Amino acid sequence: MKSKKKQQFKTPEGYFDNFHERLMGKIVEDSDSSLNIIPKNDGFTVPQEYFETVGTVISKKVKDTKTKVIPLYAFRKYAYAAAALAAVFLFVWGITFRSEPSFNDLAAAEIDSYFEESELNLTSYELAEVIALEDIELKDMVDTPYEEENILEYLDETVDALEDLNIDYDELE
Amino acid sequence: MVAEETLVNDLKHKDSQARAFEVLVNTYKERLYWHIRRIVLNHDDADDILQNTFIKVYKNIDGFKGDSKLYSWMYRIATNESLTFLKQQSKKRGISNEELRQDLVENLQSDVYFEGDDIQLKLQEALATLPEKQKLVFNMKYFQEMKYEEISEILETSVGGLKASYHLAVKKIETYLKAD
Repeated sequence: MKSKKKQQFKTPEGYFDNFHERLMGKIVEDSDSSLNIIPKNDGFTVPQEYFETVGTVISKKVKDTKTKVIPLYAFRKYAYAAAALAAVFLFVWGITFRSEPSFNDLAAAEIDSYFEESELNLTSYELAEVIALEDIELKDMVDTPYEEENILEYLDETVDALEDLNIDYDELE
Repeated sequence: MVAEETLVNDLKHKDSQARAFEVLVNTYKERLYWHIRRIVLNHDDADDILQNTFIKVYKNIDGFKGDSKLYSWMYRIATNESLTFLKQQSKKRGISNEELRQDLVENLQSDVYFEGDDIQLKLQEALATLPEKQKLVFNMKYFQEMKYEEISEILETSVGGLKASYHLAVKKIETYLKAD
């Protein structure tokens, strides 16, 4: 009986042959019908003559990176002499001066220029982790010093009604 | 067009390096630019990344073993550079990758190098909602008209997987464009 039940349904001849290919074809067909509403151009443009000039810019940049590499062997004899001199100097200096250089020995200008020139890429959260809030004053944040006159001028320009400031005048008196 | 093997050999030899590099840049600059531009959307960023990509290619050509095709290797560098750039941007600005993508699409409205109409802008909005891989596959297949086999070598994914990604991307974009 069971075997008879199994034979109740039939498939067309060769139905399972190339089923995968037919399925993929159907998917592609389905995608194609969706593609009709997607624009063929995405609207991006480039500056005039960009592609004519970018090749030269890249070649120049590559040349610049190449010239930065100075082969050491050309200066080998000078390097040996310099290394010998440096070794003697360090030996003598090490004997005469035992004290360690301190942070204060670094010129403030050098530290400032390091921070200005280096891209530290610190987020505000990372900065908050290393700098305590108590150590920061408002004058560290603003380029121009704030005088009472500037503050009054700012308030005069930006605040319509003095009441908006919600100042408790009794406290000020 | 110079055969790839010859080009790679010339790039590795000092005497022929400069000329070969010029050929390489002129052959691939446009294709790589559009690949990068569709990831980062902004022209200036795409320009920087394109230059860095070629500099990296130049510096690392000796390490290129020829296991894959030269163009696939360059596309991989360009893709990595672009995605790293986006990650750095989102970290720098303290926002998520998704928020950054939305910002980039919003900026297109005032971008002088974007001349798209409403539907093209909406397409970019739709693309910003896709997972990174689907977005890459869609752009490479639809706009750059690359073959699945080529995309497969660049993204190191099976052709079947790519077809599925592309189909899903198309369906999602269609739904987004048809909405409201």
